[in-house]
Amino acid sequence: MSHRWGMAVDLDRCTGCSACVIACQAENNVPTVGEEAALKGRIMHWIRIERYYEGEFPNVRLRFQPVLCQQCDSAPCEPVCPTYASYHTSEGLNGQVYNRCIGTRYCANACPYTVRTFNFFNPVWHKPLHLQLNPDVSIRQVGVMEKCTFCVQRIKASEIQAEAEGRELREGEPTPACVQTCAPKALVFGDLNDPESEVSRLARSRRGTKLLNELGTQPKITYLQRDSWNEKDR
Amino acid sequence: MNRRDVLKLGVLTGATATLASCEKPAQQLIRFVPEEDFLPGIATWKPSLCTVCPAGCGMMVRIVDGEAEVVRNGQLGIINMGLAKKLEGNPKHPVNRGKLCARGQAGLQITYHPDRVRTPLKRFGQRGSGVFHTIGWETALSEIVVKLQEIRSRGRANSIRFLTDRVHGRRRELINNFLGSIGAPPALEFDPLDEPVLRRANLLDFGRPVMPSFDFARSNYVISFGADFLGAWNSPVAQSIGYGEMRRGRPGNRGKFVQVEQRMSQTGANADEWVPSSPGTEGLLALGLAHSIVKERLRPKPHESVHNPDWAERLTTEIYSPTEVEKRTGVAASSIERLAREMASHIPAVALIGGAALAHTNGLFSALAVNLLNRILGSVGAPGGVFFAPGPPITEPTSRSHNSDFFSQLLSGGFEDTEALFLYKANPVFATPPGFEIGEKLTRTPFTVSFSSFIDETSVFADLILPDHSPLESWLDDVPESGTSEAVLTLARPVMHPLHDTRAMPDVVLEIANRLGGEVREALPRKTFEEVLKASYSQLARTQTCNPTDNFDKLWEQLLEQGGWWDGNCQLRLPEASRSQFRVPEFIAPVFDGSEQEFPFYFQPYLSGTFLDGSLAHLPWMQELPDALSTVMWGSWLEVNPKTAERLQIQQGDLVRVRSRHGTLEAPAIINPGIAFDVAAMPMGQGHENFGRYASLRGANPMKILAPTQVREVDALAWAATRVNLSKVGQKGRLALFSGALSEQGRDRELR
Repeated sequence: MSHRWGMAVDLDRCTGCSACVIACQAENNVPTVGEEAALKGRIMHWIRIERYYEGEFPNVRLRFQPVLCQQCDSAPCEPVCPTYASYHTSEGLNGQVYNRCIGTRYCANACPYTVRTFNFFNPVWHKPLHLQLNPDVSIRQVGVMEKCTFCVQRIKASEIQAEAEGRELREGEPTPACVQTCAPKALVFGDLNDPESEVSRLARSRRGTKLLNELGTQPKITYLQRDSWNEKDR
Repeated sequence: MNRRDVLKLGVLTGATATLASCEKPAQQLIRFVPEEDFLPGIATWKPSLCTVCPAGCGMMVRIVDGEAEVVRNGQLGIINMGLAKKLEGNPKHPVNRGKLCARGQAGLQITYHPDRVRTPLKRFGQRGSGVFHTIGWETALSEIVVKLQEIRSRGRANSIRFLTDRVHGRRRELINNFLGSIGAPPALEFDPLDEPVLRRANLLDFGRPVMPSFDFARSNYVISFGADFLGAWNSPVAQSIGYGEMRRGRPGNRGKFVQVEQRMSQTGANADEWVPSSPGTEGLLALGLAHSIVKERLRPKPHESVHNPDWAERLTTEIYSPTEVEKRTGVAASSIERLAREMASHIPAVALIGGAALAHTNGLFSALAVNLLNRILGSVGAPGGVFFAPGPPITEPTSRSHNSDFFSQLLSGGFEDTEALFLYKANPVFATPPGFEIGEKLTRTPFTVSFSSFIDETSVFADLILPDHSPLESWLDDVPESGTSEAVLTLARPVMHPLHDTRAMPDVVLEIANRLGGEVREALPRKTFEEVLKASYSQLARTQTCNPTDNFDKLWEQLLEQGGWWDGNCQLRLPEASRSQFRVPEFIAPVFDGSEQEFPFYFQPYLSGTFLDGSLAHLPWMQELPDALSTVMWGSWLEVNPKTAERLQIQQGDLVRVRSRHGTLEAPAIINPGIAFDVAAMPMGQGHENFGRYASLRGANPMKILAPTQVREVDALAWAATRVNLSKVGQKGRLALFSGALSEQGRDRELR
């Protein structure tokens, strides 16, 4: 059975702690750009925590929302790429072939979620910080667009392992770095082709919504809205 | 066929060709180059211990072979070695169960930091100037031994001091054994993350000066007085796991969470109800809630207190009534009554206190008040409540010397006669108000040795720096103080070889002891910290409850393979001592430094979710992580309410001068809707003068304008007890904001 990888983000569990951001940065060799570039809005994180204030003191509410590539089924980033660097993989991911990318940035223009980041400069790791780099993930050079891959290297590793053992992948086996480290279990990853998987179950939740669903991008990430306390609970 | 038809045909055939080619992968138009060729590298996973905060989470470290440039025997060369690539939580560890926070993840950069001290250093220029030159280990060690012998021969060994950050596990014991054997007083511990006030309250109420643990997963109601328990407080990963379960782990039962604070923290942002009370009145609000519960008989009456039979009468006096409490806290009486009703009808309910609420002069009162509220809710030692983690069945390392001892020595002039000072990680020059004059005291100390891996504001005063291994290169052990209901001991061997010419601090202490000879060598006969650990934990083989064994070597191997020892049968420890004591603490009003007229704002520094007390500001990943609330990167800021900003004509990014009776600093303004009108808040952690290339001379340090005020009855810094005034400087500050940056792509910033 082919897989269709998806994610659920339970905003009622998310605490905005940002552990996912650093986990992703460490796993995927996402560079730091320094203060000058950060001032220009050029930081490279593949996942970000958006936060929204509502109301006025003292009736203030604040909401966190982790945003990463939505791995759209109808992805605006794909058809605009003149070199087919942005493409759709057999497992439904929005792939990015770095050595095809010529840096037109059309895909970043097209992406309504602004989750694509561009290498305005060659990445720098002051020695010996380069020793932290994950050898499973290629380093992107100047002029190349990059984005969340759902940790495709981890998915691949799990598939190879399962194949070597002559079995199907188990539920929860490939786990992106952000999901693995999420303490309140706000992030859940799995196979949307398996109706019994946790992620499929959550995708059917009454609290489930898709980000900018009205654009018709068909995202594979479901956001479960934050709930409010009901005194009659339990 | 006209031109349009030709075009249509072309499109059609094109589409057909594309579809057809899908059958043969070699002819696919869109062909992903690396997918099938992709072979992830072979990694091994080794258990370790996270040391960036006191929580003591268990880690699994991903090790992959790689080429590293290292110095061996004085020669630079490239060798192939196992390198740590990724830190994850240890799935079996009872505290963090496979999870790790952002700070823990970033701990990887400590090992690979470009500004690590790579060899022993000797001071060259003036003390504090930061000019050092490289020396060999042999020279450094013999210099220390000669100095110690000289001090001891003059009978002045009691003037040798050892100041550490939070030291975990057997390190503390080893340091104190060493100090005892040379005739010096025990080590002093200075850890800005510690909560000495809460420890004191728990000692008074429960007989244990220990940080509490919480069973949030089974709570139906959580009320937190200022504790940033989902951010940086106590055991944040364990608490976040429990919080997730409290919210959605039980179908049809979503627990309520109420946060009381004056500035909305990352934790407060997640609350169902956010209650701003006046600074320093958190304890009074807790007593107001307790008053309502007892007076309205919302809970079955708790059994009578043996020691204070009249506690209920004391609590139900008029001063703790909702209307009286409203006057001081600013929280409506109706809200107090409602909250009391809600929590009493949603047992298990639990209360906790931390952060700024404890850092007022009346912090001890507030902590005792929250303990009483927990007693009245029946949540002490109960499921869904508060408890103390059980320690493992071994002799616990010598009791901690907490910040209190450090402060009491500091305040009583105990540092004046210091002849030799050893420093291990602690950075009090950065993290204490200038009124304590620690820098001046260090300049006057004749001989200072630091084991620091980095030159920071404190180690820059050292005469000798003997760099420690990084945590990943070290033997580590720890008994987590909270965050677990099981008995836990974390143990880890080095997961990689050292990158630089460093030595493990405990091994250096053992070597010094060996060279001093005589009774010192007899007291510390072992050669390495590994041997010390093995000897210390050999008693586990017999005392562990599940499988007592005679084969310690086998157990030792198991411990190292698993990353420690834990036992689900050693269940959570109830606070035993004085269980029937219901103490109703007397309300003490908080006192602030500076008059309300001259300094109209309460100044509230807070532990940064990214830098903690500043000890992680040197990590580039942490610098570039947008703050959860302000979204600022690479800098610091001052938070004010929009109304306040309007009144002072301050706009976002304007540089603001913050003045207290003790100093002045400047920081760009962040307009924060979640802060009280009369409060100005600022994160700790930035403003380093000396902490590597990423942190030095960046932002401002709020500690530098604090009054050296103490918490009443506890030797602890009341860091939320300073008043300030604010004025506009008249220019913009540097503010790298993440919020809004995406849609604008920096265009407005370019124009400016």
